[in-house]
Amino acid sequence: MTWFSKSTTTFGFLLLAHACYSAYEHSALQSHRAASLSSLSATQQQAASSSLPLDISLETIVATVIITLGLVLNTAKLRPIQWRVWAGQIERAGEEGARSSSGEVDKDYVGNPFKLLESRPGFVDIRKQRKEFAEWVKQQ
Amino acid sequence: MTSSLLRPPGHLSPATALQLSQQAPNIIKNSPGAVTASAFSSLFSAPETPELWTIYENLLLSCLRTGDEESAHLCLGRLVNRFGDDNERVMALIGIMKEADATDDATLEVVLKEYEALLQENPTNTPIVKRRVALLRSLGRIPDAVTALTGLLDFSPTDSEAWSELSDIYFSQGMYGQAIYALEEVLVLQPNAWNIHARIGELLLMSIKSGDQNDSAKQLGEALKRFCRSIELCDDYLRGYYGLKITTTQLLEDPPKPSKQAESDGLSPPNLPTLQKLDGLATEKLGEITRRFTAGERGWQGFDEAEIVAARELLEKSSSTTVR
Repeated sequence: MTWFSKSTTTFGFLLLAHACYSAYEHSALQSHRAASLSSLSATQQQAASSSLPLDISLETIVATVIITLGLVLNTAKLRPIQWRVWAGQIERAGEEGARSSSGEVDKDYVGNPFKLLESRPGFVDIRKQRKEFAEWVKQQ
Repeated sequence: MTSSLLRPPGHLSPATALQLSQQAPNIIKNSPGAVTASAFSSLFSAPETPELWTIYENLLLSCLRTGDEESAHLCLGRLVNRFGDDNERVMALIGIMKEADATDDATLEVVLKEYEALLQENPTNTPIVKRRVALLRSLGRIPDAVTALTGLLDFSPTDSEAWSELSDIYFSQGMYGQAIYALEEVLVLQPNAWNIHARIGELLLMSIKSGDQNDSAKQLGEALKRFCRSIELCDDYLRGYYGLKITTTQLLEDPPKPSKQAESDGLSPPNLPTLQKLDGLATEKLGEITRRFTAGERGWQGFDEAEIVAARELLEKSSSTTVR
């Protein structure tokens, strides 16, 4: 899906750049024409030159919509907002569930936040852990 | 890999802890050792992040566990450098280091004396109080540990970790009633902790097994409710379904006589069709979880291998009894 959203965004930016360039060209042409006209007859009105043609305005609007669409399509997958779904994802998928498309685990992923109530880092018995680890090494 | 360094390493498997502590020299070499206070030089150095200090703390614990004292001392040195040795959390880490270095009980007594001296200065130094409780428990002086812990809970009754530790101490002494009470306090503070709900259910089942309670109907009913609540809070919670399956099997095999007290409390087990439905649901879910985990399906690999094996054994046992 990413190539689709990226190409959509790029296309939107191209359209927007084109619309800007057209608007610039239009105003340059208008002022040039106004200058040449005023040299011919000083009484000529130039109010009509100030408004952009309809197709340039439309192109700008369409470009903005397409860019927005591309950016929205490119956003990461939404996280679950229901508690049980969110909790279930943690239990079921572990770190896998928090991995983004590039394979990195999310920085703010904490796993089950209530696991601390069972592992209790403040009360860690470091000597027991060392003993258990030494036994594990012996078994290997 | 750094993501697991951001979480306390207590529950990690020995293999993961070893892996983490083997990375320690590398991480220490690549991370800034000190952050300068002057505004000018901070322009040129990497920005200080809170994660850096969490990593040092967890790395310290992993290294101590695996016996890599050199790296542990380096980590502690940097933490002391940054926060000073009068920071409460750093004081507790220094204490852990001393406990780990101690070779005999006499040295540990000295560490204990140091904790007590620190507490004389500031009796509400929570990390040190917790260290003292842990050390007392590790020395086997359970009554002293309980007294110290209830003292901590007196001045800080909202510390759910301490309530949970109290429950574990009571449980280790076989005092199920008190253990369950302490966990209920945890639930008051953390009502959404699905693992604590399941834990209470497990404690209730164990207290029925130990046979010192006479009102097993009420307790089975309550255990059933606890497991159901843990599943309600967490989809596909293996531990919850496992407990539910055990409870419903017990209730179906030998339906206890409904006692008047249980009924008036609203804790009597539900009627037979509901029980059978719950039993069917638990069997189905356990089957689904074990099947999908074994098939290596993506997004189902977060379970603990040992728990899956236990669930499969439970399922095989129950299916063999129904065939008979």
